[in-house]
Amino acid sequence: MQDPKQDFLESNSSLDLGDVLLASGKGVVAFVVLLVSVMLMVWFERKVVSRLQNRIGPNIAGPFGLLQTLADGTKLFFKEDIIPTRSDRFVFQLAPYLSLVPAFLTFAVVPIAGDFSSGDGRVEMFGRQTFIQVADVPIGILFFLGMSSLGIYGIMLAGWSSGSKYPLLGSVRASAQAISYEAALGLSLAAVLLVSESLRTTDIVARQAGEGFFGIVPNWNVLVTGVIPFVVFLIAGTAELNRPPFDLVEAEQELVGGFHTEYSSIRFALFFLAEFMNTVTMGAIIVTLFFGGPSGPNFGILPGWLWGFVWFFSKLIVLLFTFVWFRGTLPRLRYDQLMNLGWKILIPVSLAWLLILGGIRVAQQPDAINLTSSAQANTYIVLGIAGVIFCFCTLLLLAAVSTARRERLKTEGLVAVPMEVE
Amino acid sequence: MAQYLPVVVLAVLATLFAALSFVASKLLAPRNPTVEKFAPYECGIIPGREPPERFPVRFYLVAMLFVIFDIEIVFLYPWAVAHQGLGLFGLLAVLLFSALVFESFIYLIAQGALDWGPLQVSRRQNPARSASRTADSTIRRVGLDGRLSEAVEDDTELSVSSSDEVTKEKVPV
Repeated sequence: MQDPKQDFLESNSSLDLGDVLLASGKGVVAFVVLLVSVMLMVWFERKVVSRLQNRIGPNIAGPFGLLQTLADGTKLFFKEDIIPTRSDRFVFQLAPYLSLVPAFLTFAVVPIAGDFSSGDGRVEMFGRQTFIQVADVPIGILFFLGMSSLGIYGIMLAGWSSGSKYPLLGSVRASAQAISYEAALGLSLAAVLLVSESLRTTDIVARQAGEGFFGIVPNWNVLVTGVIPFVVFLIAGTAELNRPPFDLVEAEQELVGGFHTEYSSIRFALFFLAEFMNTVTMGAIIVTLFFGGPSGPNFGILPGWLWGFVWFFSKLIVLLFTFVWFRGTLPRLRYDQLMNLGWKILIPVSLAWLLILGGIRVAQQPDAINLTSSAQANTYIVLGIAGVIFCFCTLLLLAAVSTARRERLKTEGLVAVPMEVE
Repeated sequence: MAQYLPVVVLAVLATLFAALSFVASKLLAPRNPTVEKFAPYECGIIPGREPPERFPVRFYLVAMLFVIFDIEIVFLYPWAVAHQGLGLFGLLAVLLFSALVFESFIYLIAQGALDWGPLQVSRRQNPARSASRTADSTIRRVGLDGRLSEAVEDDTELSVSSSDEVTKEKVPV
């Protein structure tokens, strides 16, 4: 963990050539890596979805169809670019940038390699110690949340500026959905902050290095925070990405193509690029927060930092496969189901879990809560109280939902009777 | 600020990439505009209405609720990072704050602020199941609005010359 004072001193030191070289090197490498990863991700998704649907998928362009994305992208350069007459030309042209740039920037806070098990994860580049990460900022998590919210502006403005009804409806849905799940995302993330006590992503990874229970189970946050924050984060993350089963934004049966209906040629390609880049980044963020990022055992042969990359990449593939698996398996939600899931289930659950976790951690502290003499007994008492409060709050919530329903029945002139089981 | 320099580099590269793609597309793409191509997309029908300028107030309600929860998150993050130092005092403060937010959240739900979609009613009460609903009373014949002007002219001629039944059967084709 880095001293805040040292952070401050570092951040105020003047720039020299090494810093600039390092920054541009990292920027360029990240840029290329992201573009290539998007290319592979599109291929991976198409291939896996085809297999899930008993098809073969792309297999003509390049080995295993690997270059299919490149072929499709190149084709789009040769397509006519259409700006509809009713659109707001300036905003219409601005929106792809607003969508693409935050998608690139979010990746900046993800550490993708490094030796966290025997070292501190730093390597030497251009004569200075640095993490294998674009920007090791002390507010990494806030940066991620900020950038993922900025991406919504691109979608919102794209739909609004098109001057057509389907894109407009798609973008209104997109923003309502994004802000509904943003709260659940933030609350489940707070549980990770609770156990790692830092907003810096490298600190979060370093805390997860090493062994957890019984010396075999990894010390990953997914287990330390008790699985529920991870589940909420995965669902909310999928909804934030507008991926199936939460892709109401571009529900083709109702909204044609959603917010990008009016976009064609390279403008459409940039939205597509941003979408897949966000998917890769979200997978990488989940790996960093819950699965220990690049931390993992070293088996020799390769240098330590490369093992970090191997671990990171294998975890990322599993996560990305999960996203594709969701798409291949789950039917799309209805809009009211989406809102109910987000507001009435995910937000209360993640808030309650955060508070219970906080209570347990405070109770385990020596001299924080002196109910009994031993820390263990304190923890059990806190757990018991938390359980009672949790049940009470659940009952309150259920009562509120049924009150709302009764009111609606009354306004429609119906008597409240219990639902029949069909 | 040296840590943020790579972010700036990445942002510049991303913007340049998008800009250069546009330039390349301008040079490579064909250009033969027609009125139909540049009209708003509507499956070939000429749009009958402007896109709506007003939205259900529910969307604004969701936005306001989001602000409340975001503020809660803003207060929870510093506590989560510093909870070891704050101890019992910090925990109680956060619990009190969350209880207040939760209480207003419950009130909102009870008021029906977060009710979306159709009302869920029992089978017996469902008006869609009443005996008065038959194929004649529920199916509405589609009118001519939104069709191209020539088609409308053709159909008006037909309706003048023939009986109502014939017109209705011919229109959908």
